[in-house]
Amino acid sequence: MTLQLANVLFAATAVAYAAASVLFVAELGGRLLAVAPWAPRLVAVGVPLHAAHIVVWSMVLHVCPVEGIHFALSVASMLVCFVYAIARLRFRVDAVGAFVAPQALAFLLASRFVGPVDDEPRLRSTILPFHVASSLLGIALFTLAFAAAVAYLLQEHRLKHKNLEGILRLPAIDALDRAEHRFLVAGFPLLTIGILTGTIWAREIEAGSLAGIARAVLSYASWALIGGVLLLRASAGWRGKRAAVGTILGFGLAMLVLAFYLVRSLVGGVHA
Amino acid sequence: MIVVVGLSHRSAPVEVRERLAAGPDVLPAVLARLAGRDELAEVMFLSTCNRVEVVALAYGDAGVDRAVIAIREELARQGGAASGAELAPYLYEERGDEAVRHVFRVAASLDSMVLGEPQILGQVKDAYDAAVAAGTLRGTLGRCVSRAFALAKRVRTETAIGAGSVSISSVAVELARRIFTDLDERVVLLLGAGEMAEAAARSLGKGARTLRICNRSFDRAAALARDLHAAAVPWEGLEAELAQADVVVASTASVKPVVTREMVRRVMKARRGRSLLFVDIAVPRNVEREVHAIDNVYVFDVDDLEQEVARGMKARHAQVDAAEAIVADEVAQFLLWTRGLEVQPTVVAMRTKARAVLFSELERTLAGRLRHLGEGDRAALTQMLESGVNKLLHAPTTKLKARAAEGDDAGDLAAAVRFLFDLEEAAAAQQAARGEGEKGRDDDDRLPH
Repeated sequence: MTLQLANVLFAATAVAYAAASVLFVAELGGRLLAVAPWAPRLVAVGVPLHAAHIVVWSMVLHVCPVEGIHFALSVASMLVCFVYAIARLRFRVDAVGAFVAPQALAFLLASRFVGPVDDEPRLRSTILPFHVASSLLGIALFTLAFAAAVAYLLQEHRLKHKNLEGILRLPAIDALDRAEHRFLVAGFPLLTIGILTGTIWAREIEAGSLAGIARAVLSYASWALIGGVLLLRASAGWRGKRAAVGTILGFGLAMLVLAFYLVRSLVGGVHA
Repeated sequence: MIVVVGLSHRSAPVEVRERLAAGPDVLPAVLARLAGRDELAEVMFLSTCNRVEVVALAYGDAGVDRAVIAIREELARQGGAASGAELAPYLYEERGDEAVRHVFRVAASLDSMVLGEPQILGQVKDAYDAAVAAGTLRGTLGRCVSRAFALAKRVRTETAIGAGSVSISSVAVELARRIFTDLDERVVLLLGAGEMAEAAARSLGKGARTLRICNRSFDRAAALARDLHAAAVPWEGLEAELAQADVVVASTASVKPVVTREMVRRVMKARRGRSLLFVDIAVPRNVEREVHAIDNVYVFDVDDLEQEVARGMKARHAQVDAAEAIVADEVAQFLLWTRGLEVQPTVVAMRTKARAVLFSELERTLAGRLRHLGEGDRAALTQMLESGVNKLLHAPTTKLKARAAEGDDAGDLAAAVRFLFDLEEAAAAQQAARGEGEKGRDDDDRLPH
């Protein structure tokens, strides 16, 4: 019964995200669709379904949702959609959903079909939930900042090259710049907590492999880069293109850290 | 039959158009004069910058010529012309199906100077409201115009006829909106105080929080600032003004750029990287070309804006065929409805007569041989007769309406029905439907959808 409910919730969530993705892509591609305004609403509809799926699926598997990288990514993508559904109204950056919806769909599918749930008892620690929770929420916010930065660069490129065709499909660049900055500001303290707790956790389990060290270095680098972007914006007026490029690089490094976890999960073992 | 007589930007120069134009203050008097003409059953007067038209309903096919002459006379009077002949070269007229099509095309902005512009629909609505208020629009013509509103909405929804920007000022506004979400919170700075600056200010500046005017001649800037409720600032403070502004519209007569790359570099430091848009509508250009290469600074000159206007126009023209197809569809539906109206009096008369004859017989019988029947039995007999009338006349009713809807001439068939059933009164009503009776007919039939 619980499994059936999980399957229904999974299918409903996937349909909502998939439909939103199709509408977003069609809208950005310049197709005149009367139903296009439904795209962000479909993402919002997907959020409670996704949350319910996470709860029910964790009951089916008898694991905590934040244990296991695929499952954790699914939680992160749900958080991304949740923040997007709220923030889009304030920042008027609906088009960011064109990135958010497909990645939410991909992580949702990955949580069910890619790799086993990582539940190695040796990796358990009291600090782990704090590490995972803050990291996931931080990643959710950086994902939105990244999407806003990509949209900013696209819009800025069109304006600089005076290629105005289709330009109306993206939000104004000041809205994208502002949204990107706010998401970074909100995500940075969470990333800081995630890195601190991650460092403590790594010491607890005595992880000292080469991969572990590389992962730590990348984490510190992404923290420094994003911190630098915020600092330069505040002190030297770094806005727009420079801030967008910095955000994308910082997000890229954070994603590399996640990639290490994914590889470890697929290959198996903390020393992978 | 509906007729349209008028002139537009296609047929008459502005000197002629402005003579015939009627503003909201004089419109009721114009409508009253037109309504006073015996040749017109219903009438609406449409007056815009580019168009003056009288849309009217004539008394039947036979009354069309007289209606057209009456409208021409009234237009000549409106324009102060000595005779109708003076205006004749500028006037066009449409009748029947073509008149309906014309009204629909005008409302859908397919006949506008700027294809797809949205203002015309509001102007047609104003004309409609004025005519309704004056009591000159009631039946068929009223339905025609209200159908035109629905059509215009359909065209805008189903095609991209209104998409894109098709004027320099609207392109500039759209550009500003692509950079700044909240244009109403922004500072717009005009460089120059000439006619071009004024025109730009009226479109870009009206939505801005603050409008400032910087001109070499401060007096001229101050004069324009008074007109536009803006602030005039001295030319010497240009760099400081650039540091505050978000959108700069440059239109000075200077032969050399007044905004240089070095100046903007300094300004951007003071702005701490906040975006700055230059709309340079001056020729020669007022803003150095290299300024566009600075981060967060965007410069668009006249050529850029005109390219976008051309692109917008091209995109709109690509939608014309789709829009015309919608118009054709709506015209066909409207004509179906009007043709159905022609046979309506005959149908009503046929049913009335059948009921009258049968119920008269029933009454006589109930008063004679069947007077012993109780209330229940009498009600049952009445119900039976009602049902019999409906069933018997269902076929001729639907066939008459179908023939009319198919566009065939249902007049012969209706005449045969009237002859066979001896419906003299219906003949008179039929005549009224085609002509005199059209004035003020209260038609409850619904248009097919």
